[in-house]
Amino acid sequence: MKVSLAWSSPNPERTIAAAMRRCYSTKAIEEIETELEQKGPEYWKYLLSKALQDKSLDVLEHFVLTLLVEGTEDAEVGALARNFPYLRATRLNEADWLLTLNARTLVELWRDPQSKPFADMIVTELDRRGVCPIFNGLAFGARINAS
Amino acid sequence: MRVKLLYCTDLGALKRVLAQKGVPFDPEVMMDHVVYMFEIEDCSRVTTHQLVRHRAVSYDQESQRFSAATREGVVTPPSVQSNEAAYKAYDDALKTVYSAYERMVAAGIPKEDARYILPSAIKTKLVMTLNARSLMHMIWQRTALQAQWEIRELATTLHHLAQDATPELWTKIIER
Repeated sequence: MKVSLAWSSPNPERTIAAAMRRCYSTKAIEEIETELEQKGPEYWKYLLSKALQDKSLDVLEHFVLTLLVEGTEDAEVGALARNFPYLRATRLNEADWLLTLNARTLVELWRDPQSKPFADMIVTELDRRGVCPIFNGLAFGARINAS
Repeated sequence: MRVKLLYCTDLGALKRVLAQKGVPFDPEVMMDHVVYMFEIEDCSRVTTHQLVRHRAVSYDQESQRFSAATREGVVTPPSVQSNEAAYKAYDDALKTVYSAYERMVAAGIPKEDARYILPSAIKTKLVMTLNARSLMHMIWQRTALQAQWEIRELATTLHHLAQDATPELWTKIIER
C-alpha cells in the first residue's frame, strides 16, 4: 500500500489554533488570525498541546487531508469507513482510493491498534511533505522519538 | 450577520490525482472530498441551535462560559423591530435580563452560571467545517420557504460563497 497526500487544509496548525481561540475570544476572525500571526508558531504549539492534553480534539477537525491510497483491498477500506464515520472513501479503480479525513480521525486511527499501521503511513507522508511538523510532533511524538 | 469562507479544498489538486489515475472529475462523487471552513459572526443563538442539528459537521463556537455578554450583542427579528408594541416588550425584557446578568456577575457569580438567564437572541460567533455533500443538504433544507428567516439568510450566503469558490461543484439549483 502507498499513501500520497493530494491536498490538505492550508496552514493547518494555525487553523487549529484559530478554532481553539474562537471558543474563548469575542474578537472577529481577522483579529484572531492577526494575533496568531504576531504570536507565532510557539503560541500555536502551546494551544495545540493544550487541546491534546485536555482531549479537546474537536478543534483538530478543522484540519482536513485528502489522500491517494494505492494498492489496497476493498475490505481494508470498508473497515476504515465503517469504524471511522468522518472518513470518506471513493474507489478510483481496482486498488486505488481517494480518502478524506480530518486530523481528529487521524489521531483516532493512530490510537486504534488495528488501524495504527495505516495511520503511521499517513503521518510519515505528512512528515515527508513538511505539512504539520508541530502537530505531528505533539500528536505522534512517541513515533517521532522512536524513529 | 457576517459569513466568511476561510478556506476550501483546491479542486485542481484533486483533479491532478484523478488525471494521474485516468478517472474523470465527477462533481457528485467529489462532494465527499471537497471541504469548506467558514467563520459565522453575529447571528443569534436561535440560529446556531438550528445549525448544529446538522450532523457530520465540525463546529467551534464562542463560549459564554468565558466571554461576557453585552446588551448591544443581540439580534432583533424584523417582525419585532417593525411592531412598536412588540419591540417595547422585547426591549424591556432584554433590559431586565441584562441587568440581572450584570448584577449576578458583579456579585461574583461565575459567567458560566450567570449565562443561564441570557436570551437566545444573543449574538454569537463560530467556525464550521463540512464537506460539500453536508453543505448542500444543509442549504437545501434551510433555504426552504418554511425555514426561519435568519437561517435562510445564512444558508443563502453559504451557498453563494461555496458556489463562487468551487463553481464546478455547484451546477444544480438547490435553493428552494
